[in-house]
Amino acid sequence: MSAVLSASGLHAGYGTGDILKGIDVALEEGRILTLIGPNGSGKSTLVKTMAGLLAARQGEVRFAGECVNDWSPPRRVQHGLAYVPQEYNVFRNLTVLENLRISHEFMGGGKGEPLSPELAALFPGLPARYGALAGNLSGGERQMLALACALTVRPKVLMLDEISAGISPLLSTAIFRTVKSINARGVSVLMVEQNAIEALGISDTCVVLAGGRVRFSAPAGEVLGMKDLQSLYLGDAREAGA
Amino acid sequence: MLQTAFNGLISGVIMTLPALAVTLLFGVLKFPNFAVGAMMTVAAYLAFALNAQLGWSLIAATAVVAIGFGVVCILIDQLTFKPLRGRSAITLMVASLGLGFILENLARFAYGNTARSFAIELARPFRFLDVRMNHEQMITFAISTAAMIAMWLLLTRSPVGRAMRAVADNPQLALVRGIDAERIIRWTWFITGMLLAVGGVLIGMDRALEPPMGSNYLVSVFGAAILGGLGSPLGAFAGALLIGVASELSTLVMPPNYRIGIPLAAIALVLVFRPQGLFGQPYIRK
Amino acid sequence: MISFLVLLGIVVCFSAILALALNFQWGLGGMVNFGLAGFYTLGAYTCALLILKGGANTLVATLGAMAIVAAACALTALVTLRVTEEDYFAIVTLGVGEMLRLVALNEDWLTKGALGLSGIPRPLDHLIPHDVYVYFLLGLSLALLLGTLWVLNVLARSPFGRIVRALREDDVVAATLGKNVLWARVRVFAIGGAFIGLAGALHAFYYQYIDPTQFTNIVIAYAFMAVIAGGRGAHAGAIWGAAVVMVLLEGSRFLKDVIPWLDSDRLAAIRIIIIGVGLILLLVFRPQGFLREHRLQVDLVTATMRNR
Repeated sequence: MSAVLSASGLHAGYGTGDILKGIDVALEEGRILTLIGPNGSGKSTLVKTMAGLLAARQGEVRFAGECVNDWSPPRRVQHGLAYVPQEYNVFRNLTVLENLRISHEFMGGGKGEPLSPELAALFPGLPARYGALAGNLSGGERQMLALACALTVRPKVLMLDEISAGISPLLSTAIFRTVKSINARGVSVLMVEQNAIEALGISDTCVVLAGGRVRFSAPAGEVLGMKDLQSLYLGDAREAGA
Repeated sequence: MLQTAFNGLISGVIMTLPALAVTLLFGVLKFPNFAVGAMMTVAAYLAFALNAQLGWSLIAATAVVAIGFGVVCILIDQLTFKPLRGRSAITLMVASLGLGFILENLARFAYGNTARSFAIELARPFRFLDVRMNHEQMITFAISTAAMIAMWLLLTRSPVGRAMRAVADNPQLALVRGIDAERIIRWTWFITGMLLAVGGVLIGMDRALEPPMGSNYLVSVFGAAILGGLGSPLGAFAGALLIGVASELSTLVMPPNYRIGIPLAAIALVLVFRPQGLFGQPYIRK
Repeated sequence: MISFLVLLGIVVCFSAILALALNFQWGLGGMVNFGLAGFYTLGAYTCALLILKGGANTLVATLGAMAIVAAACALTALVTLRVTEEDYFAIVTLGVGEMLRLVALNEDWLTKGALGLSGIPRPLDHLIPHDVYVYFLLGLSLALLLGTLWVLNVLARSPFGRIVRALREDDVVAATLGKNVLWARVRVFAIGGAFIGLAGALHAFYYQYIDPTQFTNIVIAYAFMAVIAGGRGAHAGAIWGAAVVMVLLEGSRFLKDVIPWLDSDRLAAIRIIIIGVGLILLLVFRPQGFLREHRLQVDLVTATMRNR
């Protein structure tokens, strides 16, 4: 199984000093990988660097077999590397329909209907809100819209930065179920999550990041079973049972 | 009083185009561009060259200059602002100030300080409801309205317009949604170049052509854009009309030379009480 | 030739004081004064009027100019206390500056409008022999420049300076602090204003005749270039910058002799074009720029802009 998205020896940061201190991580094709770790460990920074918003200072980001260090973010997304940022992930002053339309137009989908029937089935609540300004949506609706925008043109890889942040548990479960369906259609997924337990529940692999380095990598099922790992890295873990 | 209000309305209508240019540039490029006044001046003189010196009709001259100036603005951006991309707003503002000097004095170098006029047929003013109007003012009204409608359609119905609004809303997100920011910036300059060119011609029709003609409007245009809310096209339109009418009406109670106090007061009041203006969104700086 | 150099030296001195004042307001306080030309006008006219109409001597007139401009700056800063974004503040100061220049131009009863005020005496010119006076004036200007440098440096290093720097670095924190601390911003702007007034007074003494055309926005271009050329914050740098800029630009008045076929209007236009180009080139090639450039922005945006 080949890695559709990988980082090797990756260093990056803002200003002086690196936040990422040599990251090696690989997302296998068709799989779901969840990144967990304490605040400040560099999870968001890693995803931003892979999206092209932050320059790699050392090391490589490889996507679909090519080194993409010099690729601008638009170029990456047009080749199938989609990204949903943690905050400000919709255009607040544009309507829901305009948000979808823009994504569709500029990710290579052309002028047609932005929400394919397949996609509409995954996001049934959206068409009803087409005319609303994205800034006026509730938190959950916004996350759904952000996710849908990244999917208007089916990507090879979907990167999600805390997609379930600030969402009610019910909605959160629905989001993860949607992500699982998307993955079933062939999209590889890289997730950064604080709500690790649920995320790991749908993932194949888990990678633990701390202090800008990879500490640990294992199949998700194994990590779920590690109690001490849970308390250390899974944030204020909702003790699902134990 | 009605006459004054009407004059103010025309003045405001003239300002809608540059105010829109200012607000679009601020939205996409994230800084107040002080060169817009001088840009209007240069475009007006270019139209003058075609119209009064080469004998073209003003309409034809304006159309050609509008498109040409759109391209010129793209070039200006490549030379002046592109090397400064990502720098602080102040750096860009100072650069725009320098650019303004250059452009205004190119006009001065080419045409000197004496006032010029376009070669248009003089028609007798007419009266309507006790208000004196002339044909130039009607044309101004028509052209500005047409331009506003065209801009509205562009911003709401076309991919480029949507992309401009997206970049203004959230530049980083625009990138990861596949929008090539540099391309949109070029489009923005092309469009604002056209707006400024037409605006310059309208000013030249209303007053005379002289090197400071555009910069004289700078404070009022910025006042209009800020009052309406920097970044909001509707706001630019509303702000321009309000500032125009208010400035003219103020001459009934204040010495006319201090008209500029109106947009200034508007700016001060807006910034203190409601920084996002009438229609703008509070800009979240990360 | 010597006398030309001496006169140039005097001009450099008060231009440098102006640059230092801008540097203080902007570099330390983070408040860009785009209305510099207007406040400078206010200083020069106040000084001139206090002497010509108020009968004051040059010292009192100078102090008066400093006080008035300081007060005007304080008022401006007060009105915009809540506005911490530097670009909005710049627009407001631009407007205020324009208003001040308009007043100078239009209030004929006070300022004689476009005719200007002439016959401004120079400090102690009745006491010092005529043929050595320029040297005295140069010495005085230098002394004032050094004094300005010393005072502003002391203030910058004081606890007051630290507070102001902290306010400048972090708008968000500044917004949550109480009014008392925000007053520091007003004080910084006012102090800078006092020195703008000083520069204005010296301008009036040097030229002995002032009219509104002397105070166009070119003034602000000179000051910005000096500050930017001089480099980041360091006060001494602003002085070097002012010297270099002034020498280059005032010296270029000699273009008239080299290019005789252009009339003075056109030559003036060319000089201003050169200034504009120089300003932009300085901004592009002086990456130390001015304020601490928001690194975050630079990394993210330039990283994306540089890629295809």
